[in-house]
Amino acid sequence: MLRYALRRIALLPLSLLLLSLLCFGLRQMTPGDPVRRLLPDTESRQSDDDPAAYDRNYRQAARSLGLDRPPFYFSIYNAALPDTLHRVARPEERAMLRALTLQTGNWPAVQNWYRELRRLAYAGEGAAVKTSVAARQLLVRDQARLVNNTLNGMPVGPDRERLTGLFTAIYSSSRRAALLLPAFRWNGADNQYHRWLGATLRGDFGASLSDRRPVSAKIGRAMRWTALLNGLALLLVYLVSLPLGLYAAGHRGGWFDRVSTVLLFLLFGIPSFWLATLLSNFFTTPAFGMDWFPSLGFGEIPEGASWWTIVKIRAAHLFLPVICLAYPGWAYVSRQLRRSAGKELDQAYVKTARLKGLSRGRILWVHVFRNASFPIITMLGGILPALLAGSVVIERIFHLPGMGELIFTSALKSDWPVVITLVLLNGLLTAVGLLVADLGYALADPRLRLNAAKTNAV
Amino acid sequence: MSRRNTTFRGLATGWLLGLLFVAVFADFLANDRPLIAKVGDEIRFPVLHDYGRSLGLVAGYQPLVRNWSRVETEWAVWPPVPYAAEASDVRNGNFKSPFDAQETGDRARHYLGTDALGRDVLAGLISGARVAIVVGLGSVLLTLLIGVPLGGVAGFFGNEGLRGPRYHWWGWTVGGTLGVIYAFVCLFPFFGEIGGPAQFLLVVAAFTAFGLLLRLALRLIPSMRKPMAFPADTLILQGIELFVNIPGLVLLIALLAIIDRPSIWIVVLVIGVLGWPTIARYLRAELLRIKQLPYIEAAKVSGIGRWRTLFYHALPNALGPLLVISCFGIGSAILLEALLSFLGVGIPSDQVTWGTLLRYSQSQPTAWWLAVFPGLLLTGTVLAANGLSEQNNG
Repeated sequence: MLRYALRRIALLPLSLLLLSLLCFGLRQMTPGDPVRRLLPDTESRQSDDDPAAYDRNYRQAARSLGLDRPPFYFSIYNAALPDTLHRVARPEERAMLRALTLQTGNWPAVQNWYRELRRLAYAGEGAAVKTSVAARQLLVRDQARLVNNTLNGMPVGPDRERLTGLFTAIYSSSRRAALLLPAFRWNGADNQYHRWLGATLRGDFGASLSDRRPVSAKIGRAMRWTALLNGLALLLVYLVSLPLGLYAAGHRGGWFDRVSTVLLFLLFGIPSFWLATLLSNFFTTPAFGMDWFPSLGFGEIPEGASWWTIVKIRAAHLFLPVICLAYPGWAYVSRQLRRSAGKELDQAYVKTARLKGLSRGRILWVHVFRNASFPIITMLGGILPALLAGSVVIERIFHLPGMGELIFTSALKSDWPVVITLVLLNGLLTAVGLLVADLGYALADPRLRLNAAKTNAV
Repeated sequence: MSRRNTTFRGLATGWLLGLLFVAVFADFLANDRPLIAKVGDEIRFPVLHDYGRSLGLVAGYQPLVRNWSRVETEWAVWPPVPYAAEASDVRNGNFKSPFDAQETGDRARHYLGTDALGRDVLAGLISGARVAIVVGLGSVLLTLLIGVPLGGVAGFFGNEGLRGPRYHWWGWTVGGTLGVIYAFVCLFPFFGEIGGPAQFLLVVAAFTAFGLLLRLALRLIPSMRKPMAFPADTLILQGIELFVNIPGLVLLIALLAIIDRPSIWIVVLVIGVLGWPTIARYLRAELLRIKQLPYIEAAKVSGIGRWRTLFYHALPNALGPLLVISCFGIGSAILLEALLSFLGVGIPSDQVTWGTLLRYSQSQPTAWWLAVFPGLLLTGTVLAANGLSEQNNG
């Protein structure tokens, strides 16, 4: 048992590490430029007036985000590519260099082309405006046809001829055989992943890309609401399903049992986001004259309100979302309880209790309940992640500013610091929940322990 | 009790088969082109012809007809719903209720109303059924494709069942991984744009070549010749445990929100890949039981190869329970797809699905027909899938 628990606990950080790698990989693959969002709008206007200054600012911003470092501890790449490609600050230019080199294998020619383009694009007063604009366009073009179009559109002159010469050189002396060699490079600890992981472990989750506020503050505020919502939902799940399941088990085959089984089965099949949409369409809008509940947020508490007013306001806002979060749990928990209590009722001790003359209710609610409830309590571990996932949709439908809403809006805006932190947090909660549930089962049921020992031995 | 169960099972099977029928013949059930039409002297089969054209079998009709509802035909057989899901009917825009006056002229009414752009809701439901079936079947097939071999090997061979010299296992695992990396890093750029199937073949070829090469090379080292049992069970169980901790829905949303060209195949891929641990875990437990049965022992004694025993004798025995789990998987995949398109991630914006119809209903709460009908279909499907898996279990 101890070995099993230790193994599970040891696996937990490994899981989270894997999840962090997955998130980090996703971030690397995301299109979009975090640096440009960091620079204020005035500066992106500057990119047309004074490209050289903008380029300087851009590089500085990229350095401040640590983007001039290699992404990971090691890199495996095509030997035709240079090992310092990550030092090219802009992702579009990096993509262009990579694409051209992987088409031809001719890095020296691509490098000459890139240098000349950068000279023309960011030379300041030296180059004509039109040439500079065309060069900046060429810096992000990686298809020969488009490049040739742009080159033909440039004003005739020495610049255009030099560029055309450099571009044809890339394709004329193609070295495709070089593409067949792979290369491996050890980058050491000074990389983006290491820095990010270190900061995360220290509790510094960075700042949101969309409004520069610290991620921990944003999540903290949202988490309060989600915790309230899910706490109430969890309470409601157990308050309803425990009596329901136990009563059904005690009167197996009776009309209540049959009706509740069918009803719960139907209820379990109704997708909660559909019911939530219906409820929010019917009861939070004036569409059908039943505008009974507020449609947005958790409500404003007026200054100096009595506790009764606060409860009333909050209840009006929370009633529908909590119901929608809780009802799938009713079916799930009460059916489990009915099953486990049904097994207990067949045990000898129930017969003993009945022979002793105890009332049916007392046997059910005191003796059977205690034995049947342990799996139900450990089921909490499984319910918690489901509730969190469910709150993404419910919070969205009822316009509540909780964690689900936060992760959804941040993902749409590719606000990676927030998304990654939330995914990791969610992974941690899921893993801890499952761990607690598994260990709880094992603790509760000695047979499980014995079985585990037996299978290990075989 | 049992008679009621049989009725229910019949209903549920009927529902799912009906859904499959609608999905397969969606183009013939709802389309803005007639099935058969006589134009001038020519008899045309516009819907059928499109299939032929997309397969490259026939050339398009000349002259081309863009809007069939305006063409003078001698006679025409229209589909039951003469509207396409994506095509908007301008005269009936702005949420026409099923009971409103509709300006459809000679064409059939919009039986279940329209949305803001005048798109027919019934046609949308039919096209949504197709998406639901594609996602449900596709992702479960993918789940089975990954989960069955892994779960089967873990359960059947355990930690001790696969024995061989060290160089064999190390060669194939390390060499194969290196081969796949090499294919991505070097072979793909070298061969340029060759398309998906050819790239897949390249990956397989590189895996085999590198695996064989490393195996041969390691054979030269004496310490690598020692026999060793491949710890399949431990490795696969650890993999399952690592995968289970991934918060599925949250990751799905994060993943699909960043994809700039959404398509239902990516949804299928992600749901399928995230779902394999359930199948693998279940099949492993099932095979642990089957492994103990006498007929497997008999197969062993009569000298049938172990891989053959696994695939021909042990796995077919686990097929029934596996089907039940898959049924449940189809239900939850369809639910997940509806949820994602309801949130507006992962599905192309012009594709009409049950989830997108529900989403449109949020912008116009008075349009109850947009909210009620897709939800009813979804609930029916989920109930049928859940019910079938439960009935068989109990």
